[in-house]
Amino acid sequence: MKRLIALLMAAVLALGLTACGGEKETAEQVTVRYGLSNAWDSLMPYNSPSGSNYTRIVCDKIYDRLAYVHADGTLDPRGAKSWESTDDGMAVLFHLDEKAAFHDGTPVTAQHWADTIALITNPDCPALGRGTFSVLAGTDSNGCAVAGEQLGAEAVDEYTLKLTFKSAITPEDFLLDKNRELYVLPTHLLADTEPADIMELDLWDAPVGSGPCKFVEEIPGSQLVLDINKDYQLGCPDFDQLVVTVIDKSNLLSSLISGDLDYYAFGGNLSMDDAETAKAGGIEVLEGEVPNTFYELMLNCETIPSAEVRRAIDLALDKEALCLQSTHGLGEPTATDVTPGTEYTCSLTWQRDVEGAKTLLEQGGYDGRTYTLACTSNRSGLAALMQQELAEVGMNVTIETVDSAALFSGMADGKYDMAIASHTPGALPLWFTESRLSESNNIFHIADLEPYTYYIDQIKSSSGWETRQVMLDKLQELLADQRPFIPLWFGRTLHAQSPTVDNIDYPSSSFSNENIWAWRMKEA
Amino acid sequence: MEEKRLGRSPWDRFRADRRAMVCLYILCLEILAVLLLPPLLGLEPNASDLEAGFWAPPSAQHPLGTDDVGRDLLARLLSGGQVSLFIGLSSAAISTALGVPLGLLAGYRRGAWEFWIMRLADIFQTFPSIVLVLCLVTVVGPSATNIVLVLGLLGWTGIARLVYGNTLAVREREYVLAAKGLGARTGTILRRNVLPNVISPVWCSIPLRAGRAILSESSLSFLGFGIRAPQASWGSMIQYASNLTVLTARPWVWLPPGLCIILTVLCLAGIGDGLRDALDPRFDGRRS
Amino acid sequence: MGRYFRRRLLTAIPVFFGITILVFCMLNLAQGSILDLMGEGSGATDADRSALAASLGLDQPLPQRYLSWLGGLLRGDLGNSYTNGKPVAGLIAQRVGPSLLLTGTGVVLAIAIALPLGVLAAWKPRSGWDRVASALSLVSFGVPGFFLCLAGIFVFSVTLGWLPANGMYAAGRFTSLADLLRHLILPAGVVCLSSVGELVKQTRAACLETLGEDYIRTAYAKGLTERAVMVRHAFRGSMIPVLTTILSHIPHILGGSVVVEQIFGWQGMGSLLFSGISGRDYPVVMGVTVVIALTVLLTNLLLDLVYGLVDPRVRYGKG
Repeated sequence: MKRLIALLMAAVLALGLTACGGEKETAEQVTVRYGLSNAWDSLMPYNSPSGSNYTRIVCDKIYDRLAYVHADGTLDPRGAKSWESTDDGMAVLFHLDEKAAFHDGTPVTAQHWADTIALITNPDCPALGRGTFSVLAGTDSNGCAVAGEQLGAEAVDEYTLKLTFKSAITPEDFLLDKNRELYVLPTHLLADTEPADIMELDLWDAPVGSGPCKFVEEIPGSQLVLDINKDYQLGCPDFDQLVVTVIDKSNLLSSLISGDLDYYAFGGNLSMDDAETAKAGGIEVLEGEVPNTFYELMLNCETIPSAEVRRAIDLALDKEALCLQSTHGLGEPTATDVTPGTEYTCSLTWQRDVEGAKTLLEQGGYDGRTYTLACTSNRSGLAALMQQELAEVGMNVTIETVDSAALFSGMADGKYDMAIASHTPGALPLWFTESRLSESNNIFHIADLEPYTYYIDQIKSSSGWETRQVMLDKLQELLADQRPFIPLWFGRTLHAQSPTVDNIDYPSSSFSNENIWAWRMKEA
Repeated sequence: MEEKRLGRSPWDRFRADRRAMVCLYILCLEILAVLLLPPLLGLEPNASDLEAGFWAPPSAQHPLGTDDVGRDLLARLLSGGQVSLFIGLSSAAISTALGVPLGLLAGYRRGAWEFWIMRLADIFQTFPSIVLVLCLVTVVGPSATNIVLVLGLLGWTGIARLVYGNTLAVREREYVLAAKGLGARTGTILRRNVLPNVISPVWCSIPLRAGRAILSESSLSFLGFGIRAPQASWGSMIQYASNLTVLTARPWVWLPPGLCIILTVLCLAGIGDGLRDALDPRFDGRRS
Repeated sequence: MGRYFRRRLLTAIPVFFGITILVFCMLNLAQGSILDLMGEGSGATDADRSALAASLGLDQPLPQRYLSWLGGLLRGDLGNSYTNGKPVAGLIAQRVGPSLLLTGTGVVLAIAIALPLGVLAAWKPRSGWDRVASALSLVSFGVPGFFLCLAGIFVFSVTLGWLPANGMYAAGRFTSLADLLRHLILPAGVVCLSSVGELVKQTRAACLETLGEDYIRTAYAKGLTERAVMVRHAFRGSMIPVLTTILSHIPHILGGSVVVEQIFGWQGMGSLLFSGISGRDYPVVMGVTVVIALTVLLTNLLLDLVYGLVDPRVRYGKG
């Protein structure tokens, strides 16, 4: 028997080892280990079904973007050195960096950018997320190029890209909104392929981009090995390799403390509750200045048809307590989706009013029915608190803890009446409302979108800050009156500082880009 | 017949086993405590005490502190005990109730019985349980009953295989063949001659299965398919330890449910051993 | 014997298809599809969704989707992942090795501990060995796997700094055996601890059972030493239940451990299955199911044959 066990053991070990062992690396390389709590899906940025921040932050390494967006909304050059508005604000000229080059050595030209956009907006190309390009002239509302019209993306000269829009927009607003979706693809490697077959290319198994890191190898869903692109136009860090590993979030902080990770996305985010643990483990902790989460309670306006009842829910919730439970003091309750600290403001305030909520429930004809509140399992405490607060005004709620696919599908098909969701806030006034209050994505089941879309179109088409602010106030008033969703709070985060790497722009990581070219190893 | 010869019923022998009796008492006490204490003490497992705050350490008002939404952990420990004991005991009972007869039939009757039962076991054993859980949870909603069903339905194959393997060996034994030769009915043979000789590994596997079911619920919570909020369970409470801060700085949160699970498993195991010894006379006398 | 074997092989085929149909239906019954996850549930438009549905074939009726999947399977093609478009067979091939290594090492370790300990515990009930066996199975059955993982990481990585807290390699790829083994210890230890309890219990129970048998008494009567009786007779006689338990671990070895792989960032089948489920990536889930199903069917075949070898009293049914 002993022999049998020994044999079995040897066989298993040998099998496992042969399957795991790749070629041996002899050269001494400095590696930075990067943790991520969820996997990216595709390394072809326009073929990502989830379009998640996990995919964006990984594509941010391999591909180049026009600009670098800081958490506070300021912009730095990246693929483009500078930009200027032209044609009365209807177009923007991007002056590209001549030093930019793809990992195969080909220089990045304006033609690459224009060809990328032409390819992705081509209706024959099975691209995902092309809605990004629907702001460009010559596209329909889904971002598909319209036959016979001039597409609003052209190379003026070798290093000047001109984007033309449907309505006037400043380069800054455009970049704040779209920069994270705009990548340049190596179109010189795609020239011989029909647009319909683009996604079938072997190229995407070993993608070539012009970003700060080069693809080496991938275990999809688990690990990505990248080499540093030493020729990147903005410089390169003083290490050689970046290894991205997907690890459960319960192990991120422990791995950072034990030295088995150098950094984890997004920005080493840390809850207030864990700050002491991190400090005790020798990790420095800094407080983020900019709100990086926005919590909302999604409502189903079809199953909760009365605006009074929806407003009653708003009044019944103790946003202060909810915010405290979730952020441990690093958040501000809110009455609106307009991000604080940006150019735009909203004067609405919130307050809890149990009696008022009861009156509204009565006015709205609430019949005592039980509503279903969906949340993901990590937010079941929050849901339980909401349940108690709503019970206080006489509203019955049951909680369903489900995964996010079931949550979104249940909201979309009307199975759930409410759901807790969170988002990364943007600096633009319509960052939240524009995509959600539209015919093609009516997640709140609003019967008549017309009043909302009127204001949204007004805000989009007006150019001055003042008129926009006036229209925004009107939109917010309408939202406050109808309450299709309930804004809860804007939360900030703590950033666990890497014990080994310096110069990381932690806050900007939440906005799907990282200044990896500036990272420096600390002196040992 | 053997019972007469030894002059003692299994229950007498079980009662004489001190360890098993202590385990039985503790388990009964535990069941009584989780059922009776909450109404007697007026404990509210689902009400938040916002004055005490979130994650309050133990105090006179909250002997075990409060959880992440300010609910009393003692109240949740007791009401969670109801859920966990229910999940553990019922799912083990379902597995056994399905597994023992099916395993016996397959092993004794063989032929078509063996074929269909064991192939069914193949299907169940192969089925990724997480798929079944996901499906049930999203179709009928997460609840303690559904988790019991899932764990119970998935667990019968292990017991059936155990019984089946032993029955294969026992069915060719002299005493079984003799009983068959004397014209005894199959049901009688199975009950009197086969079952007592194949059941003993099952007795020690039931309590462990119950313990494992309590833990499985905890793993399901970890993966996001747990019981329905705001209900508590020991499994979901020990789940708090997945946060490094709770694990290291707030042992009072996860230690009590953890100890409760271990105590329960320990008692169930003791009872299982006692039952096995009591029902299997061959162990009598050899063990002190 | 040969005929029996052939028959078993033939019957495995409907079982196999039964499993695939069942899993396929279950998956499609579950709420939510990859379309709901698009744009994290809010950023995508209906046009995006219908484009993705068309390109993945999700707009076809269910039976047709199953048949086309089955057609692919018969040609040896497990289809492409919904999320990253890569061939599922390739994804699984990448993951089988690490899972085999992790769970295999853990289970083999567990067997190596459980067999001698179980025999010793049965030999001398209520001795020190018996207590160790009880304590070990208590930890195994009473402490959840994720807790063992996180407590292990806290003690051995965070506090003591002896072992790495995650991953398979320090530098992202194989550099040395020592490096891999260092990364293996903690997760494999957890796998070992969580499966050792049942093995110890079964070995001990089975040994106790056989100790009461007539042939053991005969062996004693023949004047064999206690040691020889234990090793040669009692142990061998208790092989059936022990083998049943061991072999029932095989799908688990291949399927990997979802929780352990998830926490340690181990690149195995368990984490592949889990991400497949949460991402509603059906081809991946189906592929993993097929691989696990095939292994289980083969081990069960093996199990039935082994019964015959270990215990000659078992005769195979006629025909």
